[in-house]
Amino acid sequence: MSNLHELQHRFMDYLLAKSTAVVNDIQSTPVLDAKDRLDIYASAYKLRLKEAITTDYDKLASYLGDEQFDQLMEQYIVQYPSHTDSLRYFSVNLPELVRDESPFNEVKELYEIASIERAFANSFDAKDLPFTTITELASLPATAWGALQFKVQDSLQLLNLRYNSFPIWKALSDEITPPKAEMAEPTEWVLWRRSNLVSHYRVLSKEESVLIRLAINGESFSVMCESLLDYYSEEEIPMKAVGYLQSWIQEEMLSGLSY
Amino acid sequence: MERPFLGFGLGLRTDHYQYVIENKPQVDWFEIISENYMVPGGKPLANLDKIRHDYPIVMHGVSMSIGSTDPLNKSYLKKLKKLIDRVEPHWISDHLCWTSVNQINSHDLLPLPYDETTIEHIVERIKQVQDILGRQMLIENLSSYVTYNDSEMPEWEFVNEIAKRADCYLLLDINNIFVSANNHHYEPQNYVDGIDSDRVMQFHLAGHSYNGNMIIDTHDHDVCDPVWDLYGYALERFGAVSTMIERDDNIPPFMTLRDELAIAEKIAGKVLTKEQLQLTSGTFLKGAL
Repeated sequence: MSNLHELQHRFMDYLLAKSTAVVNDIQSTPVLDAKDRLDIYASAYKLRLKEAITTDYDKLASYLGDEQFDQLMEQYIVQYPSHTDSLRYFSVNLPELVRDESPFNEVKELYEIASIERAFANSFDAKDLPFTTITELASLPATAWGALQFKVQDSLQLLNLRYNSFPIWKALSDEITPPKAEMAEPTEWVLWRRSNLVSHYRVLSKEESVLIRLAINGESFSVMCESLLDYYSEEEIPMKAVGYLQSWIQEEMLSGLSY
Repeated sequence: MERPFLGFGLGLRTDHYQYVIENKPQVDWFEIISENYMVPGGKPLANLDKIRHDYPIVMHGVSMSIGSTDPLNKSYLKKLKKLIDRVEPHWISDHLCWTSVNQINSHDLLPLPYDETTIEHIVERIKQVQDILGRQMLIENLSSYVTYNDSEMPEWEFVNEIAKRADCYLLLDINNIFVSANNHHYEPQNYVDGIDSDRVMQFHLAGHSYNGNMIIDTHDHDVCDPVWDLYGYALERFGAVSTMIERDDNIPPFMTLRDELAIAEKIAGKVLTKEQLQLTSGTFLKGAL
């Protein structure tokens, strides 16, 4: 198989623009020479990957404009050759390239907009899990509450944003002129998919952000309550914590309770 | 051999989910792109479950990379098997090509040299895949734009030999035969004549585009008249074969594609008898429904 392996290696190198050695393996005809024939594959390779990136990051594409987005895609295709068997996952590292590489890292909101788009994609086809109900919560024995742990939906993701990136993303989604990017206090957003298969998002208060992170990390209800000591008196905490739990259940963020 | 005949189908595309679910149009079956549903959950699988409830399905993959010299991708095959268990397709297929090497995926269907060494390599891999999946599979001929200096035989001999030795079946893409015949300067009828009838299980039809003297397999146009003619020729040679139209770009409304499928039904009605066109749900494929 070494000959076939080497041939495939040379062919792939042509697609990756690393070597033209495979030209010598291909027949030329009077209609078209070997290089032009191989270029059909090289063009298709790039075109297909660009289509996949554009599908996954269409808001970022609108924000950057055709020329800069094409430059970004060219850079991504070179730096991140595909190691996945599905195009669905080819562009998952694009936010990191935007964050790390010049000139894109000079425009700080780009990373956040790209991260929002990736979060929506991840939410779209995340694993289907059951939705915890208020009845399940209400039927817990009193002794269960202290050690109670929560499983959130697999689609649920937190995004810590320093810019007004969600309003920018929303404007791009509505195909209207986005607001000017502005830096603000870091804000935590939550994005998840509900039972109607539609993804939702909203901002979290600081205390809710702390609580939901503790829940995600498998901490118990009593540890979550302790975290609220910075915000409320001991008497207020149980009602506040249960209030958050109820809203998470009503909003279909949770998929299980255990104790 | 009595080949199962599912009738006339279409490729299921996201643009048409809503129409198909709401209107349940008359189509004998749908072909899905397997990789589009090899995801953890959400809308793709929910829509597929609804459509599967009302229609027979066959699964068509693009990433098995059966001709690659990389080890078989066991993780991919595991996901494929999980989807097979969920969908219960009449059969599954992939392409006679390679897509990846050194773990880098081109996401394209890349051609192989037609020689004995490659045949042996692919036969062994198809056998392994069929063992892992517990069922026979179909392999599809490509559209191709290059010929390797190492090739020793016509493509149809290569295809026949692999199907016979691996004991798998063929998804014969009529458009791909037409495209490759043009690009490599042979008569497409010679290809059809050269294929072992006993191995043919399904036909693909599609549109293509011209790029100078070359034809590119773009799936973005209607099926053209010479491909319809070749389809009629293939029906005369092979008899009733489950037929579907692939459309992947410039996708028209569902009923426009349904009207195009009626052309295939009309041609088959002229070439074949009513008895030949009787739908059969049974199949002799090992491991299939």
